[in-house]
Amino acid sequence: MNRRTLLGGLFAAASVPALAACSSGITSLDGSGTTSGGGSGSSKGGVTIGTANFTENQVLGYLYAAVLQQAGVKVKVRPNLGTREIVIPALKGGDIDLLPEYQGALLNYLAPKDNSSEPGTMQNALTLAMPSGLQVLPYGQAADSDCFVVTRATARKYGLTTLADLAKQNGKLVIGAAPEVKKRRVGAIGLKDVYGVEFKEFKSLDSDGPLVKGALKKGDVDVANLFTTDTDIAANDWVVLTDPKNLIPSQHIVPLIADRKADDTVRKALAKLGNVLTTEQLTQLNSQVDNDKKDPEDVANAYAKQHGLA
Amino acid sequence: MFELFKNLGKWLVSGSSWSGSDGIAHRLAEHLQYSLLATLIAAAIGLPLGLLIGHTGKGAFLAINLSSFGRALPTVGLVVLVFLAGGLSMLPVYVALVALAVPAIVTNTYAGMTAVDPDVKDAARGQGMRGHQILFQVELPLALPLIMTGLRLALIQVVATATIAAYVSFGGLGRYVFDGLAQRDLVQVLGGAVLVAVVAVALDLLLSTLQRLLFRHRAA
Amino acid sequence: MTIDWSWIGDHTDDLTSLTISHLQAALTAVFFGLLISLPLAVIAHRIRPLRGFLLGVSNVLFTIPSIAIFVLLLPVSGLTRTTTVIGLTVYTLVVLLRNTVEGLDSVPAKTKEAAKAMGTRPLRALLTVEFPLALPVIMAGVRIATVMSISLVSVATYIGDGGLGQLFTDGFQRDFPTPVIVGVVLTILLAVVADALLVALQYVLTPWRRRRA
Repeated sequence: MNRRTLLGGLFAAASVPALAACSSGITSLDGSGTTSGGGSGSSKGGVTIGTANFTENQVLGYLYAAVLQQAGVKVKVRPNLGTREIVIPALKGGDIDLLPEYQGALLNYLAPKDNSSEPGTMQNALTLAMPSGLQVLPYGQAADSDCFVVTRATARKYGLTTLADLAKQNGKLVIGAAPEVKKRRVGAIGLKDVYGVEFKEFKSLDSDGPLVKGALKKGDVDVANLFTTDTDIAANDWVVLTDPKNLIPSQHIVPLIADRKADDTVRKALAKLGNVLTTEQLTQLNSQVDNDKKDPEDVANAYAKQHGLA
Repeated sequence: MFELFKNLGKWLVSGSSWSGSDGIAHRLAEHLQYSLLATLIAAAIGLPLGLLIGHTGKGAFLAINLSSFGRALPTVGLVVLVFLAGGLSMLPVYVALVALAVPAIVTNTYAGMTAVDPDVKDAARGQGMRGHQILFQVELPLALPLIMTGLRLALIQVVATATIAAYVSFGGLGRYVFDGLAQRDLVQVLGGAVLVAVVAVALDLLLSTLQRLLFRHRAA
Repeated sequence: MTIDWSWIGDHTDDLTSLTISHLQAALTAVFFGLLISLPLAVIAHRIRPLRGFLLGVSNVLFTIPSIAIFVLLLPVSGLTRTTTVIGLTVYTLVVLLRNTVEGLDSVPAKTKEAAKAMGTRPLRALLTVEFPLALPVIMAGVRIATVMSISLVSVATYIGDGGLGQLFTDGFQRDFPTPVIVGVVLTILLAVVADALLVALQYVLTPWRRRRA
């Protein structure tokens, strides 16, 4: 075999994986990949579930996957994609089909001026604010809200029990939260507008992850933005500042889905999950992933089996 | 597209973008600090190593292949690993940056040393010079151009990679890229990227001009 | 910091598919990098004024942080493998362009003149004389580009891809070192093996250098 033939052969061989790679999707941590879209309002072609970049959303994503698979739907999960600001455009664009969302936060993202705080009112407001091509399914009973916490020592030092107390320390305290919280109503903007709070510094960390919790423990930040289903709050004796003016709305978990994939099979399966999963149980599942180092997928599947959902 | 660049221009020239703890001036200073310090540490490790290998000839395999190994290191993984081991500090960032810079310095220092004409070394030995005298008075001066190139390349690489400090909550120009990603604020992302590129290119031009001036009397 | 060996045992399937996905991304980027850089290098080599421009632009592109390029591509191609590959290709392109131009430069002028004197048409000379002689330097570029590409794939974990890089963000979020350690080791292994295979390939493709020894 002369060199020219060898080179030609190599070139041909190299282009095969290259072309194959173009048509293949992304392999996720659970070994699954993307899938192409199906018809309108039908889950027959399979549903791609995307999740945001924090533990609970991944647990929810795999719970959705478990119940949908039980209902006979082909499912792919793409975990850990990023923040809501990244994931919702992906949903609109068709890279994913279904996303576990939170009523209050989602409403705030889509309609920042809306001040509803009751789950029923919020669901209506959400339906009105939906961009074309997307819809919300009925919300479940489990809820997870943002909260702002301080250490027991900080609470004692400045006499902090509510968010309003923070305004008394304007310019003195450092807050740690995920970068997007700086621009959100349930975040720096809302704290200023509703409670008149101004921080000395906003530190961009993560969504209830190791960075923000580590910073709170170390004292690098005084106030941290966490989630109410995080067992670390109780474990570390952190104080959740109360919210008398209802800045932080109730955050029931609600599936956000593309119209083209929303059919009765999907609706029924997700509604069943929504009625069964409680906040307590979700908190426990989160702890299994973060503290026991179990995989979100395994934890979700075990729960689904245990409760007759899969 | 044009909108994006127009907004970028506005962001870059607005006074408020430059002031404050999240201002461009502060982030720029942080970024330069991380880059210069990391390169300095890498030089403190890489220069002696490269000189030793070049002078003794032992470990040449390491010097030649260290670059490949260094290029293979995933910076994200390295930063996360050191973070998990050592906690929230700049240590993970510096470890990753130094690990990235050392191979370039070692390889170029070694290359500079091997480029020294063996006849010159022989002549020096003939004159009665001892090992370390040959190293510092003959080899090092002759290897200097390539050593400086290695330092320059390492610094540029580190400047481009120091954005990783933002992965673990620290500052520098990477902060704009990460916050912009989270907030889907492409002007911020582009701003961070452009600033890093400008700093890297400016430093490269500065140092290569310096190099040319220092060695202009040498034969090409 | 300890390794949970049982985690590795439980996840061999995931690790295999992640490694394959990782390699696929890197190699695709090198492939497209070559596809674009080879003709560009010939242009840069032949047309003096364009050379400075092309090499200058590629040097500047190289200084842009990879995470930034991935993010800036999101509005273009979304959270897909395409975004990752385009981003990676920018960097492989720069490395391959540099090395290919250098390789073509290294072909002795006398050899090119001899080919011309023999009546060889320019395109044929390019393919049968210049490129083969430039091959060692080009292959060095392919090696660098491949290893660099394998390392850069992990950065795409911040846009939902990333192959083995997903192990890093996962381990980070849960304060769990095992997946991170495994990810680092596998990435380095992948790069070392790829590099070794390319060295072997170069050896096979340049028989005349063997004969000299």
